[in-house]
Amino acid sequence: MALLLKTTRFVESQIDTFLDIVSDSATTFQLAVEDYLEGRIEQFEERLAQIREFEHRADDLRVSIERFLYERTLIPENRGDVLAILENTDEVIDNIKDSLLQFSIELPQIPTELNDLWMQTTRASVAAVEQLVFAVRSFFRDLAAVNNYIHKVHFFEREADHIGERLRRLIFGMDIELSRKSQLRFFAIHIEKISDAAQNVCDRLSIYTIKRQL
Amino acid sequence: MFFFYLLSGLFLGWSLGANDTGNIFGAAVETRMLKFKKAALIAAIFITLGAVLEGGGPSGTLGRLGSVDALGGAFTVALAAALTITLIVRIGIPVSTSQTIVGAIIGWNMFSGRLTDYRSLITIASSWVVAFVLSGTIAAFLFHLAKPLVNRSKAHLLEQDVFVRYALVVVGAFGAYSLGANNIANVVGVFVPVSPFKDLDLGGFITISGVQQLYLLGALSIVVGIYTYSHKVMRTVGKDLFHLSPITALIALSAEAIVLFLFASRGLYNLLLSLGLPTIPLVPVSSTQVIVGAVVGIGLSKGGKNIRYNILARISIAWVAAPVLAALISFTLLFIIQNVFETKVQQETHYIFDRRSITKIAEEGFDTSTLSTVNGRSFSSERDIYRELQEHESLSRDDMLRIIKLSEIHRLKVDFAKLQNSGMHNRFTPNQLKRIEELNEQVYRHKWQLQADLAKEAEFELHDSPLTEHQKNDNRLLQGKLDVLFRAFLLEEQTD
Repeated sequence: MALLLKTTRFVESQIDTFLDIVSDSATTFQLAVEDYLEGRIEQFEERLAQIREFEHRADDLRVSIERFLYERTLIPENRGDVLAILENTDEVIDNIKDSLLQFSIELPQIPTELNDLWMQTTRASVAAVEQLVFAVRSFFRDLAAVNNYIHKVHFFEREADHIGERLRRLIFGMDIELSRKSQLRFFAIHIEKISDAAQNVCDRLSIYTIKRQL
Repeated sequence: MFFFYLLSGLFLGWSLGANDTGNIFGAAVETRMLKFKKAALIAAIFITLGAVLEGGGPSGTLGRLGSVDALGGAFTVALAAALTITLIVRIGIPVSTSQTIVGAIIGWNMFSGRLTDYRSLITIASSWVVAFVLSGTIAAFLFHLAKPLVNRSKAHLLEQDVFVRYALVVVGAFGAYSLGANNIANVVGVFVPVSPFKDLDLGGFITISGVQQLYLLGALSIVVGIYTYSHKVMRTVGKDLFHLSPITALIALSAEAIVLFLFASRGLYNLLLSLGLPTIPLVPVSSTQVIVGAVVGIGLSKGGKNIRYNILARISIAWVAAPVLAALISFTLLFIIQNVFETKVQQETHYIFDRRSITKIAEEGFDTSTLSTVNGRSFSSERDIYRELQEHESLSRDDMLRIIKLSEIHRLKVDFAKLQNSGMHNRFTPNQLKRIEELNEQVYRHKWQLQADLAKEAEFELHDSPLTEHQKNDNRLLQGKLDVLFRAFLLEEQTD
């Protein structure tokens, strides 16, 4: 049996590693935002470099999984769906990297009174991504649990939107230049977009889950 | 000459290979769980094994429906069935090989003035309905069994894929074996009574009977059908008719394989018999109906919303249209072959109600006063006798069939050497062979006369009124042996 499942187990481990990277990227993103808000720019840049590395590895893994699934004609019925899930999940890492990269390029000055809401938005977005990783893992192993995680992703996405809105209102209520308000809004929206990307994957995932049900 | 005539049977085999293999592997190939080459190889190996090892049971039932006794007739019957299949498949309706061959045999019965044994016909026709319902029920049961198992197993999607893939190979092989066992009778069953193949004794251990050799040839034609045309049909069955996921495809295939096996396995039949359980008639069923039944069963289990009722209706129409059309084509072709090509499509059979046969009929417990209109007369068609006997309301159709069989002239000469040369002696016990040898060179006018002489040996004695399934089975097996002797000892010259 072990021999029969040799290729399968290899691809399974690749998928698991890919999802681990997504999860690690989200956690690193949260730490990076914390570093940035606390002014630890050097540490922030290290985390950005880490996320770039994650992104490369995730891309390589995705291509490798894709090649295996097609070459060995594995899961022919669900192959398209699985690849779509992986590609869309990969976009979440891209979003995370893009967001941090913008911080690194523009180095926006964030007033300290925004720190709390900024971190809350970040945590909600990161939680959405973490729940997404659980949902995707369940899609492979425990179909019945997928909807629970999808529900949680939706919850955290709404939470991120809600806190993000408060953050933007606060930004535009502050006595600072309009150009700066506009820049901060751009960064706040960028963080919200991470949870939006997680939700997009979930929308697809819920359809694929219905398709897979007996 | 026999091989030329067999061509129509092989054509029928080809169409079965192309059509019915799709019913087994269509969904697996279409969902890309199995590659066509692999599916074709499994189908080829296991259909051949099933046909050669277990094809005898369903063939016997077809033989009782109508024993096509001339090569030209067998050729035409098989050709009519193959043409009907080709015609209906071209219209786009999945067709049943079993139904068309049964329709074509009835066409031969009509043409040759023979009476169709309604009891066998009812057994066959009801088995089609039973097979459809049974496969639906089994599929629904398997579905309800599989659903919680799949949910609870928490196997990775990729591992599940591997298990389903291997299960499809195993169950597909079982399905192909059952299809071969169940449906080979449709392909070459009509040639069994006229087969020239001799039994082959391989080193004294294994005997390959003439019938098995015929089945092997039929199986090879099925294999050709699989490799040349089934890919296209698999696509039609697996994609257009219904869309199944790999797991539901496995469930449908399992139900199909089980049902085909139930209606084909002599081994299972004997096992049920030995356990005193009710047996399942060995009848060629339609793999198309069986797989459709399985899909309907799964569809209903899922709430019934995804069943395409228009397709179901079209298939149901074909259940009636296929045998009727086959009977009509068979009748027309027989007329053409006999009158235009001047080929013999039936043995000329005569029936006589002389002193000897009337005495025998009386011995069998019939009131001979009901035979006043036929007494002393001879006939050349079963139907003519039937019309005469119909005047007497006291006789049932079964009674009339038995009376007709007793009056049939079937001149025989016991030829022990012929039996040995053809290799058919392997089918008989030493005591039975001894009895046949004792009767060597004896000449008989009726089958029952030889049977009566043979019955002086206890091992040739039929149970008078079989009550248990055991006795019925013994009678069936012995009748099969007697039929071998009746065919082997038949004299060319049938008139006195």
